[in-house]
Amino acid sequence: MALAGSLTGCVEAVPQDVIEAVENIDRDLMELRAAEFSPNDYAQFAHQWMALKSRVQADEDLIRWPWEPNDLEIALRRLQEEGSHTVVRLTKERESLRHSAESKIAQVEDRFRVMTLQVSAIDSRLVLGQKPVETDLLMKQAHAFYEQGQYDRSLDASDRAAQNLATQAALLSNELGRYANRDRISRWQRMAQDTIAWSRIHRTSAIVVSKADRVLTLYRNGQKILSYPVRLGFNGIREKRYQGDGATPEGRYQISSKRGQGQTQFYRALVLDYPNEEDRRRYRLERKTGQIPAARTIGGQIEIHGVENELMAQTLGCVMLDNPQMALLFDRVDKGTPVTIVGALHEQNSVAQTLAMLGVQREET
Amino acid sequence: MNTRSTIVPVMCALLMLTACAKPPTEQIAAAEKAVTEAQQSGASTYVADEYAKIEGTLAALKKEVSDQDGKLALFRDYGKVEQLATTAKSEAERVKAEATKKKEEAKAAALQAQQVAQEAVTATLALVAKAPTGKDRAALESIKADADALKASLNQVQMAIDTADYPTAQTKAKAIHEKSQAVSLEIETALAKIGKGKPSAAKKK
Repeated sequence: MALAGSLTGCVEAVPQDVIEAVENIDRDLMELRAAEFSPNDYAQFAHQWMALKSRVQADEDLIRWPWEPNDLEIALRRLQEEGSHTVVRLTKERESLRHSAESKIAQVEDRFRVMTLQVSAIDSRLVLGQKPVETDLLMKQAHAFYEQGQYDRSLDASDRAAQNLATQAALLSNELGRYANRDRISRWQRMAQDTIAWSRIHRTSAIVVSKADRVLTLYRNGQKILSYPVRLGFNGIREKRYQGDGATPEGRYQISSKRGQGQTQFYRALVLDYPNEEDRRRYRLERKTGQIPAARTIGGQIEIHGVENELMAQTLGCVMLDNPQMALLFDRVDKGTPVTIVGALHEQNSVAQTLAMLGVQREET
Repeated sequence: MNTRSTIVPVMCALLMLTACAKPPTEQIAAAEKAVTEAQQSGASTYVADEYAKIEGTLAALKKEVSDQDGKLALFRDYGKVEQLATTAKSEAERVKAEATKKKEEAKAAALQAQQVAQEAVTATLALVAKAPTGKDRAALESIKADADALKASLNQVQMAIDTADYPTAQTKAKAIHEKSQAVSLEIETALAKIGKGKPSAAKKK
């Protein structure tokens, strides 16, 4: 046919190179997975290509005079040009999407890392329940989708992880907001000042524990005698509500008994008169309003104690000191010594600072 | 025989042959049905580019029908329509088979990942149950919260499988497996550290 064409001056209906060029564009679009991430663009190309292809097949045995206009070839060349532009545009869009997915993963992971560190620093991991694992799983999915080239799904998983982090910040703010509440901090400051004043007036000892700072301070005659770092219950940053919640109570207490060596499993212990009347009143109210399950009792046996053994790193709601410091404290207090436990003694406490930082992050999310 | 008497029967015969040309509705319907079935088999998800081309062929077919319908009855020719319908049907059947195969492979991979994740979470929960209470309580409570979260997340894998979102199910299951192994390692490390201590007596707190 080619020989006949050259002899007679006729040409093929459509030059083979044009068809091959469009086929190459189709291959490029498939490699870009255009049908998945830009289905409308690919559908538009595919519809035109299939329509023209059917015309090519129908016209393949035709030959034309060189001067005859060839609409099919013109249409194919137009599709080739449009397709080339689509390939260039989608390549850019895909690269942009990949970059967005990569940036989002880095951004959310950074926030997650900061939150994990901050939450750990103020011992508030348990406040967040299952949320940290949910975030972790979403970030692992974001990575997996990114590796598979599914950038839109990767972005979606990262977005959901970011929302989850915002929920965690809100949970912390809701649960621990009192550490950043000026009125509450003023009340705690007054409680501590009253206790110190009592020590001065009665010329005796008094203890103040700050949960945010994790510090126990012993006063004598209104003067600070010593200050020790302490550990709280496994959920100690929260306000104690019922037995087994792992929280350390806040309020005004007294040492109700002293337990020396052999009388306690914790080296030495100072038993507090928890629950006091205020604790009972709050417990009754929360039981009545259903905020505390009916099966939960108010708890008790809150102590300032030493360490059971080297392997015991936490307590269940008490205030724990290292044994040498417990020994010194034990000798300096008596039954009846007031013990005031407060959330924080200053506005710039560690919990308030963490909440402020996470709040800024939440607004950025 | 005069010329006139010859032409008239020939014209009549031609008219009878061509004036009755109609679109091959059965073939078109069969092609459309095959394309619909391909779509329902998940072709638009699992072989998206090939499915888009079949839709393109179907669109070309409909345009050809419309073009032919617009011509005078004498000049209508649905031969190309028949050819396109045959192509669309056979391609749709091929793509349907391919999509079904890919979907089954994705489902099998998701189910396998789900099973691996379930086994890992079960092992983690067993380790949590073994951990002595009263020892390193904060770490233990955190680990328990993590293990509970992993167990709850298994439901999300099942939900993704139920809605045939196998890529999500597989990535979620793999994430659970990975995290579960990390939590198990954490428990084993904690157990190795505290395992020698005697358990604390139950205390009211």
